[in-house]
Amino acid sequence: MRQTMPVRLGPAEDTLIAQLTSVGASAEADRMTVAGLPTRRVESYHYTDLKTLLKTVPPLATPANQASAPALRVAGAYQLMIANGVVQGASTAPAGVIVGKSAGGVLTSRDDVLVHLNGALAREALTLTLESSVDPVIQIDRRCEGDAAHVADAVKIFVADNGSAVILETFSGSDAAHVGNHATYLALGKNAVVTHITVDLSAKASSHFASNEYSLAEGAKLRTVTIHAGAGLSRSQVFARFVGAGAHADFTGLNLVADGQHNDITIDIRHGVAHTTSQEMYKQIARGRSKAVFQGKIVVERDAQKTDAKMMMQGLMLSDEAEILSKPELEIYADDVVCGHGSTCGELDEDSMFYLMSRGIPKAEAETMLVRGFIAEVLDPIEDEALNEALNGIVDGWLLGK
Amino acid sequence: MTTPILEIRNLHARIEEREILKGVNLIIPPGEVHAVMGRNGSGKSTLSYVLAGKEDYEITEGEVLLDGENLLEMDPAERAAAGLFLAFQYPIEIPGVATMTFLKAAINAQRKARGEGELSTPDFMRAVKTAGTELNVDTDMLKRPLNVGFSGGEKKRAEVLQMALLQPKMCILDETDSGLDIDALQVVSKGVNALRAANRSMLVITHYQRLLNHIVPDVVHVFSDGRIVESGDKDLALQLEAKGYADFDGAAA
Ligand SMILES: Nc1ncnc2c1ncn2[C@@H]1O[C@H](COP(=O)(O)OP(=O)(O)OP(=O)(O)O)[C@@H](O)[C@H]1O
Ligand SMILES: [Mg+2]
Repeated sequence: MRQTMPVRLGPAEDTLIAQLTSVGASAEADRMTVAGLPTRRVESYHYTDLKTLLKTVPPLATPANQASAPALRVAGAYQLMIANGVVQGASTAPAGVIVGKSAGGVLTSRDDVLVHLNGALAREALTLTLESSVDPVIQIDRRCEGDAAHVADAVKIFVADNGSAVILETFSGSDAAHVGNHATYLALGKNAVVTHITVDLSAKASSHFASNEYSLAEGAKLRTVTIHAGAGLSRSQVFARFVGAGAHADFTGLNLVADGQHNDITIDIRHGVAHTTSQEMYKQIARGRSKAVFQGKIVVERDAQKTDAKMMMQGLMLSDEAEILSKPELEIYADDVVCGHGSTCGELDEDSMFYLMSRGIPKAEAETMLVRGFIAEVLDPIEDEALNEALNGIVDGWLLGK
Repeated sequence: MTTPILEIRNLHARIEEREILKGVNLIIPPGEVHAVMGRNGSGKSTLSYVLAGKEDYEITEGEVLLDGENLLEMDPAERAAAGLFLAFQYPIEIPGVATMTFLKAAINAQRKARGEGELSTPDFMRAVKTAGTELNVDTDMLKRPLNVGFSGGEKKRAEVLQMALLQPKMCILDETDSGLDIDALQVVSKGVNALRAANRSMLVITHYQRLLNHIVPDVVHVFSDGRIVESGDKDLALQLEAKGYADFDGAAA
């Protein structure tokens, strides 16, 4: 009994409906049948029309037991792995870390197709409880292995009051046309200090979708870094909610978009209580014929007086055929707040290039220096030297078109 | 005859349909310092940019040889590796690039292009320190992003510091004296003079005869409307100072 006109469904949607039905998620299957994948007419998918961009969806993943080297080597990091949605065995956890598993998805409900799909399809979640200050970088290697597969996986992290950690998640796998749908829920206790970095390094043929949800208690400090340097089609969503006074977060990211790619970072930051602050700083670099999308929404709820939020998007076009899009949105329901946003877009400065080259620095190296300068604001705050080097290495590799 | 370090033959260049260089001829033998003086807008900086390889200009005629090599076929980095150095009239500020990183990259890129090995970090630091002391450049300043927040005079001193580190064959100094205080002028001139050598030549663009008391040129050229209209010894600069350009380029002052 459908009231609405049925939408015309494509092969990707047909596969998704069958997959949802096969796991018993009939409500989600119905929803997909009625609404289909979002098109440009859905506001939050205006620039990333999934109906057009996601042409096919591969079969649901079968478990893989892969023990290959991590996608990114960071000296001294504690390694965890999820392969094709299955949490892999891990070595002894460092002090203050409890590693576990739970059934099902991890995100709170939200009317978003990627969130719905993950909730229905993720079978188990890796859970981490961080009880105190954790010394080594925690690296979670999330992989899509074998033949092209639709992979849903999930991670849930609780950081206790006064705890601190640096958490790196990398997304990678075989070269097949996977569709990865990843979810991370991260709750920061009072005065917890967390850096959470997600890096997409998956194959160009694949599609990468990630939804990260954050909750910040009183006095918590969070830094997020969302990096896209892999999949041909990607969308990373950052949903954050401030629930305790005195909390602060820096939401940052690098959207590195190569020829033929469409990569989207969409953030939705909610200041729910008084006296919280956030700074959003996203940099997009696009080359070839490509599209980079940033959507930044900040919501200041009625009780969230004294909110201070500043959002910035800076774009760097390395070709005339690249497109860099930015949609900032401020929704402010409190009256005593400081909120602002800005965005700029440009090419590499010719005079700077000439100056560097006039000192003997070859063109490619000069470009790398300027791009490193452009992104420094995002990577410089990463204090762990090995991690900082590894992240800069990703950018250098991307520039070389690896 | 020995090969000149720089040889410019009938060089014409235009920008956006406007001809700026209208037949420049200039030969600088090894070891010589030539000064170029001329009115604002006569094309002196344009000449320096064209020599360094800035893209904006279209070369319509002429030839430039650097120590016998065809300069115009090289990109700016290749020209630098071949031994050309331009001290900019207006050095560019580059936020996000640390001065030290830049200096090291420049030195090592040139060494690599010449088939030499990289300079070790201690050797590099020593070289920077020595040059910095000679030119009164505070090495703390070099921890900042390239030229960012440097005063006008500091920028000029940093240019000469780069020149001292890179040891070019052919130095072009575009108004390096402007913006320098009296003491800085002495220090910079001393630094430049220290670089004078039998196998290194210099082209010094300036508006002020005063600089030429410190850096004494072998030849002085008067530049007007895109070409050299008069050449002479260092006394030519004194005549210019006394009488202005009108006697030399025929235009009203
Ligand atoms: N991008 C440009 N487009 C058009 N004209 C230009 C451009 N750049 C320079 N010019 C013109 O070329 C002429 C020569 O300029 P240039 O900077 O070479 O003069 P200059 O001799 O160095 O002067 P100054 O003594 O003031 O430094 C000037 O008339 C200038 O306006
Ligand atoms: Mg000039």
